[in-house]
Amino acid sequence: MSTAQAVSHFAISCEVNGTTVDRVVAVRQLLADFIREDLGLTGTHLGCEHGVCGACTVVLDGEAVRSCLALAVQADGRSITTIEGLSGDGLTSMQQAFRRAHALQCGFCTPGFIATLSVADPSDYHDEAGVRQLISGNLCRCTGYENIVAAVCEEWGIERS
Amino acid sequence: MPDWGDLVPRLFGARVERREDAALLTGQGRYVADIRLPGMLEATFVRSHVAHAELRRVDFSSALKAPGVVAAFAAADLTGVREFPDYISWQREVRQFPLQRDRVRYVGAPVAVVVASNRYEAEDAAELVEVDYAELPAVLSIEEALAPGAPRLFEEWPDNKVMDLPEHDPEVDRILASSPTVSGRYRMQRQAPCPMETRGVVAELVHGRLTVWSSQQSPHILRTTLATVLGIPESTIRVVTPDIGGGFGGKTHQYPEEVVVAWLAMRLRRPVRWIEDRAEHLVSAVQARDEMIVLEGSYAPDGSITALRAEVICDVGSGEIAMPGTCTSLVSAACLTAAWKIPHYATSVTCVVTNKTPSGAYRGFGAPEAVLAIERFISRVALTAGVDPIEARRKMILDPEDLPYMQPSGNRIDSGSHRAAFERAIELGQAALARRRQETAGDRVRLGLGYCQYVEPTVPSYFGTTGYWTAYDSSSISIHPDGGVRVSCGVAAIGQGTETTIAAVTADALQVPIEEVTVVVGDTDSCAYGLGSWGSRSAVVFTGSILRAAEIVRQKASKIAASLLEAAEPDVVMEEGRFHVRGSSTPAVGWADVATAACVRTIDLPDGVEPGLDASATYEPPNLDHRPDAEGRMNGAATWANGSHSGVVAVDLDTGGVRILDYIVVHDCGRVINPTIVEGQVHGAVAQGIAGALYEQIVHDSGGQPQTASFMDYLLPSATEVPRLVVEHFESPAPETPLGIKGVGEAGTIGPGAVIANAVSDALSELGVDITETPITNRSLLRAIAAAGASRRGASPEEPSGGDAAA
Repeated sequence: MSTAQAVSHFAISCEVNGTTVDRVVAVRQLLADFIREDLGLTGTHLGCEHGVCGACTVVLDGEAVRSCLALAVQADGRSITTIEGLSGDGLTSMQQAFRRAHALQCGFCTPGFIATLSVADPSDYHDEAGVRQLISGNLCRCTGYENIVAAVCEEWGIERS
Repeated sequence: MPDWGDLVPRLFGARVERREDAALLTGQGRYVADIRLPGMLEATFVRSHVAHAELRRVDFSSALKAPGVVAAFAAADLTGVREFPDYISWQREVRQFPLQRDRVRYVGAPVAVVVASNRYEAEDAAELVEVDYAELPAVLSIEEALAPGAPRLFEEWPDNKVMDLPEHDPEVDRILASSPTVSGRYRMQRQAPCPMETRGVVAELVHGRLTVWSSQQSPHILRTTLATVLGIPESTIRVVTPDIGGGFGGKTHQYPEEVVVAWLAMRLRRPVRWIEDRAEHLVSAVQARDEMIVLEGSYAPDGSITALRAEVICDVGSGEIAMPGTCTSLVSAACLTAAWKIPHYATSVTCVVTNKTPSGAYRGFGAPEAVLAIERFISRVALTAGVDPIEARRKMILDPEDLPYMQPSGNRIDSGSHRAAFERAIELGQAALARRRQETAGDRVRLGLGYCQYVEPTVPSYFGTTGYWTAYDSSSISIHPDGGVRVSCGVAAIGQGTETTIAAVTADALQVPIEEVTVVVGDTDSCAYGLGSWGSRSAVVFTGSILRAAEIVRQKASKIAASLLEAAEPDVVMEEGRFHVRGSSTPAVGWADVATAACVRTIDLPDGVEPGLDASATYEPPNLDHRPDAEGRMNGAATWANGSHSGVVAVDLDTGGVRILDYIVVHDCGRVINPTIVEGQVHGAVAQGIAGALYEQIVHDSGGQPQTASFMDYLLPSATEVPRLVVEHFESPAPETPLGIKGVGEAGTIGPGAVIANAVSDALSELGVDITETPITNRSLLRAIAAAGASRRGASPEEPSGGDAAA
């Protein structure tokens, strides 16, 4: 950096759930806070703010990303999909599977699971162990994972071991 | 037992889909952190970074100059604020003010609050607050707290015992003195409830009324506490609990932050929000367990215990929390005998204060500690007596003909499937073990089978915990002119499907489609006084009060329907939500006709019937004690659930790693309203129990600094740690509760510590390993294996146990 002047704010342009968003953000603002506070998309939840629990997972250019570990400025020129964008008019097929299997209780972690699953390729997963590995970056305190695993296996046609 | 009577329930017992899910799955839930009000400020708490110190001075001069800062306050600034009330007469009074005044007693204790235009600025400014501490020696364990000459947390006390209830039972003394005895010492570590949503509070003052949104399990109790501590009329306060991201007991307490944020909204005349971060949560929200149980028992040649003496000693942290953490130890004492027929039992209970985060409620509430202790103790007794440990248990377990069974502690076990559930869990566990023996290879891996049985006090007395409230709850039903039903209840929804269950019971009680029922909970302006959701109580108390309110509404509706049908009231019956004359389904009127007459076309009301079609009712569970009798016996719960778990583990002798291969739950919570929801409760509870058995542990260093203030260090299990869970239901109806139901929320947490400790001990029985502590970590297990080996070689190990207090 050649200039001594600290930059406190930065103009970003990104696509959020299919709509172009132009905003000036504080350079230190977390992506999660930008999504929740600036855009009012409160379906993205903060469970730990240090990248472990996965509740804040969003899809950034097709990848599952922890929005508590990214800065808003990193979204500049990129495409973000939050739980609001992942949900259609009704429930997606995976969301319906969650509902049928009782794969959520308090629902706080659920959008993060849905986001993680939305970018996974079902053809990469052939057994329950693989599904458990896939979702092991998302913590749930209510379900003991039993019904989340059941929902994913049902949706992807995986026989449980 | 209040039952359906002439009504034909259609939803009771069915797998009704949850009404909460559509919103929660799509990010449309509304949690406290989602609330954003015009002009809202954000608060950050300055917390003690030392474990024990005199608090000399708080200096805001730098902080107040920071960008965006609106105000900053310390204890002395909180004008009008009072100490939290302490209603418990059987323990020493803990004087607690919402911000620490002259002393801090744990890392994380709230010392000051900074308010700014957003959280970033508030947190920056909080770092500029200068606090002058004069450090004092910290007391960090039961042993340190009880040591002669130990530093005291409260100068006005002679020692660090906040509660000390000795036992005195000459008969137990006599039997123990004249029989062969076995003794043991068992410990369960400090844990944190850790809902995925941390705590949070938003408050605003509009037209002189204070509204407080909080992630809380007991909205009315918070309202009463706020009125007391803030010194304002309770009618001026509204508490709302929006969607709650899990509670697990930790959110039953009334916290300093709730008072301070409410006070800020009053003082600053602007809405204020505080959202706890996870690092704060792991030092300032209540923690739990941290208990030692010392047992001495005499036994018969068949391995059954003839008399038992227990000392329950609990480390409750600093003790500075409203609804004190001491009472879990009383539940430990009550649950130690589980469904075992132990004819003579006496227990002392001691709670000590230490320089750690205050303890409080966590799913299981004293029972997991007790069941770990008694299960390991029974196995030790059996080994000493030379009896198979399963056979020893069979000699002691309750049979149906024993029920109701009065235990020496005063527990009145009203019903249950104790032996049947135990035998089923053993059968499934032994089959699983046999299967695993076929498929598991490796000469350095040992398989073991563990099991346990427990009883769970459900719908407990809150007087026994708070010295104030009892056990009742309330429901109100209104029928609207279009026939729609609104039901409000004093319990809270904390993610367990409460709204669905309330809707199902109400729909059955009024014979309306469930879609017609709107449920309101978690708003003190909309719901009559109730005690909230904790203690595995909600289903029983909302069902009891809904059935009573619905009966009043039905009776009035019958009168109105008779008038509309021009029939005599005794001839009118209701079927499937339609009122008609007995024997002929036409003509008929529905709820909309009746409610229209009641609320709108009141000109159609018969003489003597007042307008309106609504009713409120309470339900106070009978047959539980709020106080002990002269002999110290107390039945503190309306009904007792039971269960047996079993599990198979693989232990790696080289790494000390424990892998759970199978986990089986045979559970009995009486009649089940919704099996899907009950299974979900069991799954989640078992996972938390497994977490306690193997992973989670709050650790402090020798100076009292928390070492586990993030999820990198405090290890919540993920889907790869929790095994597949097999759950079977037994249904032993509770004889005295509405519809025979019992509570279910906590039971699953009680078993896993004992099951896994039993299984690991079984796997390593050839080495003589006897697990007495949780968590069972790789390190603790390797140490236990080494100690057992040394012991066999004749050396004297320091502590032949599986625990690891300093993992």
